[in-house]
Order: sequence, then C-alpha cells, then structure tokens
Amino acid sequence: MPKTALKNSRHSLAPLLIWLPALLVLLPVLVVGWRAFESPGPIWQQIVESRLLGYLWQSVLLIALVTTLAVIFGVPAAWHVSVHDFPGRKIFEWALLLPLAMPGFVAAVAYIDSLESLVPFYIWIRQHFGIEAFLISQKIAPWVLSVGVLSATLFPYVFLSCRAVFTREAAGSLEAARMLGAGQFRVFLTVAVPMARPAIAAGASLVAMETINDYGVVSAFGLNTLTPGIFRTWTEGYPSAAMRLALVLMTLTLIFIGVERWQRGNRRFASDPAETPLARRRLGPTGTALAWCVCAAPLLLGFLIPGWRMARWAIQSHATMDWANHFIAAANSFFLAAGAATLITAGAIILVAGRRAFHGRSLALAQRVGILGYTFPSALVAVGVGTIVSWLAAFPPLTTLALSASTFGLMLAYFVRFLAVGIQPTAAGFESVSGTLHEAARTLGARPIRALFQIDLPLVWPALIAGATLAFMDVFKELTLTLVLRPFDFETLATRTYRLTGESRIPEAALPGLTLVIVSLIGLIPLTRLLRNRPQ
Amino acid sequence: MRQLRNKQLRLSLAFSALLLPAAHAAEVLNVYSHRHYEVDQQINKLFTEKTGIEVKIVNAEADQLIERLKSEGANSPADLLITVDAGRMQRAKTDGLLQPLKSEILEKATPASLRDADAHWFPYTVRARVILAAADRVKAGEIKDYEDLAKPEWKGRVLIRSSSNSYNQSLAASIISAHGEEKATAWAKGVASNLARPPQGGDRDQIKAVAAGLADVCVVNTYYFGLLLNSPDAAERAAAEKMRIIFPNQDGRGTHVNVSAAGITRHSKNPENAKAFLEFLVTPEVQKLIATGTYEYPISMDFTLTPTHQQWGEFKWDSETFPKMGADQAKTSRIFDAAGWK
Repeated sequence: MPKTALKNSRHSLAPLLIWLPALLVLLPVLVVGWRAFESPGPIWQQIVESRLLGYLWQSVLLIALVTTLAVIFGVPAAWHVSVHDFPGRKIFEWALLLPLAMPGFVAAVAYIDSLESLVPFYIWIRQHFGIEAFLISQKIAPWVLSVGVLSATLFPYVFLSCRAVFTREAAGSLEAARMLGAGQFRVFLTVAVPMARPAIAAGASLVAMETINDYGVVSAFGLNTLTPGIFRTWTEGYPSAAMRLALVLMTLTLIFIGVERWQRGNRRFASDPAETPLARRRLGPTGTALAWCVCAAPLLLGFLIPGWRMARWAIQSHATMDWANHFIAAANSFFLAAGAATLITAGAIILVAGRRAFHGRSLALAQRVGILGYTFPSALVAVGVGTIVSWLAAFPPLTTLALSASTFGLMLAYFVRFLAVGIQPTAAGFESVSGTLHEAARTLGARPIRALFQIDLPLVWPALIAGATLAFMDVFKELTLTLVLRPFDFETLATRTYRLTGESRIPEAALPGLTLVIVSLIGLIPLTRLLRNRPQ
Repeated sequence: MRQLRNKQLRLSLAFSALLLPAAHAAEVLNVYSHRHYEVDQQINKLFTEKTGIEVKIVNAEADQLIERLKSEGANSPADLLITVDAGRMQRAKTDGLLQPLKSEILEKATPASLRDADAHWFPYTVRARVILAAADRVKAGEIKDYEDLAKPEWKGRVLIRSSSNSYNQSLAASIISAHGEEKATAWAKGVASNLARPPQGGDRDQIKAVAAGLADVCVVNTYYFGLLLNSPDAAERAAAEKMRIIFPNQDGRGTHVNVSAAGITRHSKNPENAKAFLEFLVTPEVQKLIATGTYEYPISMDFTLTPTHQQWGEFKWDSETFPKMGADQAKTSRIFDAAGWK
C-alpha cells in the first residue's frame, strides 16, 4: 500500500517537470508584461508623440508590401511547377526553395551598394523634376529594396504551401474546370487561387511573422519599423519604454495571426487526393517562356544574384580577409547552434513524450504553450531575456560571470523562439510510431523513462534529427536576438555579416554571409522532407 | 547521454575562454574600450613589450560599457574605461564609476580645456567635427558655421549621419549649450529639413555621396576625411580630393571637438598599471602612431606630425561648451525626436 502511494506521488510530480520547458517559454513574456507596467518616465510620452506612429505605419506598410509581393512571387510559380510541364520544371521545383537558405540580411549585403549606384539617377531627377521629387525618390528607394529583398527571400513559404494545394487537394477541381473548357488563365484565377486561399494565408502569415521580426534588412536600408525601434529605445537605456513597445509589437503579431485564422476559417474542400492525380499539361513555347519568367524572377532576386555577387566578392577579398576572426565567429555560431539545438530537442522530447506517457489535458496545453514561443516577436524575447540576464548578473555570486550570464541568456532566448521548430517534427515522429509498443513496455513494468529510451527514441530518431537540424539552422543564422544578447566581444557569422555591412565593408561581409548560406542549404534537406510528408 | 555531456563541456570550455579578463594577475590591465582601430592593437602590444603588463580589452559601445560598470559595481574586473566621447566620460564620472588620478605627466601633456577639472579622466586624441563642401559647387565663405546648416538656402544639399550616433549627439549638445534648448530644436529641425536624403551610413559614406553629387556639404569627423585622403583605394582618394574642409564657427565659439579619453575605474584592481598605460598613451611615440594611423589629432595638437594635418592648418576649438557636453547630451534625444532627425 505505501508503495503505490509513493508511485502516485512521483507521477503527480512528473507533469510539473514536463511543464518546465513550456514555463521557460513563457518566462520572458511574463517579465515584459510585468515590467511594462512600471512607469517609464517622460520618455514614454516623447516616444508616443514623436516615434510610435512612425514605427506603426512603417511596420504595417512593410508587412503589407512584403506579403503582397511574396504572394505575387510565390503563387504563380507554384501554379506553373504544379500543373504544367515544361523544360526545367523539375529544377525549378526544388530551386525555388533555395531562397529559404538566404537570410534577408545576407541578401541585403548584395543589394546595399545599389543605393550608391542610384546617385546619378537621383541627380537626374533633381535636375528634371526639382528638389521635392529628388527627396521623395530617395525615401522610396530604401523601401523598394527592403521590400524586394524580404519578399524575394521569404516567398518560398507561400510557394510551398500553395504547391501542396495545387498538386493534391485542388487537383480534382482543376481537372474538372479544364474538362469544362475553361482556359488556363481562367482556371488559375477562378478555381486555383480561391481554393488555395487558406494556403496562401498560411504562407503569407509566415512571411508576415518573419518581416515583423526582421532587424537586419530594415536597419541596413534605414527603415524605422517597430523591431529596430524597440532596440533603439532599449539601448538608449529605457527598458520599460522598450517593453511597452514590445507589447505593441506583440499585439500587432496577434492581429496578423487572427487575420490568418479568420481567412482560413473552416474552409475544407471535398476531394480525394489519392484518386485524382493531376495530369500536367505540356506548355508551348510561349507558355514555357512565361513560366520561365515567373519562376526565374524570384529565384534570381532571392538567391542567384546575391549568391553570385557574394561569391565574387569572397573570392576577390580572400587575400585581405581576416580569417582568424572569421573562424572564431564560425565556431561561435556552431557551438551556439549546437548547444541550442540540443536543449531544444531535449525540451521537445520532454513535452511530446511526457504528454504521451502521462496523457492529461494540461500536458496537451503545455505542448501548445511550447509552440507559442514562435509567435513571440524576437524583440520582445530579447528585451525580456535581457532583463533576466541583468538580474542574474547583479546577483552577487554571479557578477563576475556577467559573460556566462549573457551566454545563458542567448540559450534561453533561442530556446523560447525555436522550441516550436523542435516540437513539430518530434510530435510528428511520435504520432507516426504506434503507441502500443510504448504501452506494452509499460505494461511489462518498464518505467516511463526506460520505455522512452528503449522503445520510443530508437524509433523516432529520424524525426529528432530533423527537428534538431531545423533548430540548428534557425539559431545558426539568427541575427536579432544574437545582436542584442551576445556577450561583449563575441561575434557569430550573422552578427559579423551585419556589422561589416553596416561599416560599408561589403566585400568582407560576403564570406561570413556566404558561409551562412552554404550551411543553411544543408538544413533545407530535412525541411523539404518534412514538408513533403506533412500533408499525408 | 555522455555525448550530450561532452558537448556541454566543450561548450562551457569555449565560453570560459571569454571569461579570461576576470583574472586578477598582477601584471595585467583590463580595459573596457569603445575604440576599435587597428593602431590600438599595435599600441597595446608596444606597451606590453615595454612594461610586461598584458593589456586585455573588452570592446563595446560606451553606453553598454557604462551600464556594465554600473551593474558590476565593486566586482568589476575593469581597470580603465576608454570612450571616444567626452560626454560619456563626464557621465561615467557623475555616476561615480571613475576615480581621480594625480599625474604631472598627463597634466603637462593635455590641454586644460579638454580634460576633466577633477582629473577623473584624461584625453589622449582629438577629433574635430567639420563641414566638408564640394569644392566645385560651394564657393569659399558660402558656409561658415554649424548654424548655417539650418538655413533654407541649403535645402536638399546637406548630408549628416543618424542622430543615434554619439558624434551628432555631442554636436547637438554643444548647440544646446550655446543657444539653449529651444533654439537648438529649431536648428535640428532646419538641418533635418535640409537633408538630401534620410540619414544612412557612416561619416565616410556622407563624403562619398557629396563627391558623387548627391549633396553639396556634409558634416564629418576630421579623421574620416584624413583616412579617405590617404586611402589605398584610388576612388576613395579621388572622392576626398573633391572636398574643401571648413572649420566652423571660427569667428565665434570655435569648432566642436571631441576626444578619445581614458579614466581609471573606481574599483580598479590595478590602478598603477592603468596610470602607467595612460601616461604611455601621451608619449610622442604613441601620439605619432595615432596621428599617422587614424588621422586623429594628437593631444598636443601638434599639426606637424602628418602632411594631412599640416595642410588643414590651425583652428580655434570650442572650449566653451566642451565641459557641459555630458549634461546636455541627455536633452539631445528630445530635440532630435522633435526635429524628426532619424
């Protein structure tokens, strides 16, 4: 009798332990929510009066323009590679994913000098249209470049989600429309796009989230959106004002998520993917040319042009390159990403396996909370974790360890932001493995931990590797959190690329940027496999 | 599991390498510095060669370093704080982060008008914030003072970097000291509305853009101009050679200057080493290295060290607003915001 009681008490402790990763995810938001209520002093009024409106309209306009252009890039390209057959189609099918390996702030390196080469054009405008037109044209150019760079590197999210719809769910309806004699263009506009609307919304919301969190591109081109605004306020020494701004940003994010949910609604289309494979229609010369334009344009802008330019710079500047610091930065990126990926995978296993071992509605909620971190804006996580770090650093025994406090802070921030990246493949892995093996092991007397290590993990390890790789990639190329939270004198490839770009040392910025891209390309492999498996 | 532990071990080893400045060896000097020029490494090496004292540097922006000194308090490993802004040094002093230093060598080597009256910090290089004008488009005498930059005839012709930069904050602080906050706000508004483009890039980018014809005048620190004039890149030299240098406000309070300065931290564990390093920085040997390496002015304001400085000639600097820089900097974010100067 006492034995069972002991067992029960252990079981009641376990859910608490399983909640731990989820609670960690909530920690920075709670800190921000709490500190935002402290009075920030007169600076808050100054920010509201002279900065807030600017931050808001610039953020909203940027998100609107980037998502629109990403949809324009992504949907027609997905349409062509899904329903048509033309020379080069197979190449485009995977090549259009390449821009995912090109972080915006890296692509920006290759475009930033166009601001300088536009000078003769501005002067021409001043001579012909006067000084006002000259000033306006200079305000527009950074917007054109920022929107172009962000949408050309982010459109694959839309491309991927639409391709899945066109090839699977919508195939039957598209075939029917064709048989009823509708032209290609009409099928696209009246059948394909409406059917893909939830998928477009899902892809576009990912684009919007990435745009909200962007720091590298907007600050390189001098736009004043909320994310750089929060960091400016933070570094000026007004933490509570920065936290209020972070809450504004969080609200904006929630609005976008709400819009996406509302767009998706309960739309479900009756179709049986397995029985109606879509016959790809062969395109004539004109159609092929059009398809090529549609597919090649975003690929050129988002990958080939920046990749080619940076490769050339990297080769040109290899003699003057600061190799020692480059390798230190690469090692830092690697160790941070490896450490974070390990922690994230462990956190994901605790949440997913724990939920499976102990069931319970609260544990399902824990898993959902763990995923929530991905919707927290980077700027919010950064200021929240930054506050925790400064508390830790002021804690007497830890003061001389201020550096390790900030390393800890970086790890926590990565964990919060990217735990979802680890949870999703892990959950999918566990779902694909029958629960009966685990149950059988438990019935035979194995403790949950033993069942996990001997039965579950050996079966789901490919999913764990996929999740760890994705988390590794996300941390490896992360800029925003790293820039704010890193220890002094500590550079990663991402912060090095960003700093050298800021110092107009473009050729030197090419090598760390290119290194990031090449490593990210490896990360595309599990990503595409994961995405290919998901709709099944 | 073991693999996991190994990875953690390696990770913690990698990061513990970063903790080295915390070591309290006798022959060590821990410096928190905002300066990150190549010549600085050369100077530190030279100091180690001469004294055997190892110089360990932590680089970051001045505000971050000051925050860190505050949060570390008595446990701080730092012996010396170096920034490139007298205003930041004045604030560090007001915050009680520095200690006074008695040194005849430093008192003799540095102009009284550019150092702290209570000797909490000493300057060791000087930079002037000047106006550069496109020689072919701006007549001599057409622009003379900082105040002129706000006049309507310069609409769409002025370039200056972002207001988040400390050089501009200090310049604006000097305008506040000279004219009061209200007039300084009007000045900032005038400059902001005369800009040929929204602020972007550093001082060098402003010079290149004026050379390319985007604007007619720009505001930069002298050493950036010196670096371009002596650049290994022919295009950069050509751009710089199109400029005429104007030392503003020569008929009034003088040109706004700032300094690289160093002060011994209040809780320094190696104050003697810090003093030795400070006195070493003002030796002719180091001063010559700085003048020819970064084109900053030597603290002696000896113009003969480089042909570039010699060509620019002598000028009157603003010693009137200099001591109030730190106090007035706090007001600059307000006037920049009101002016819409990004």
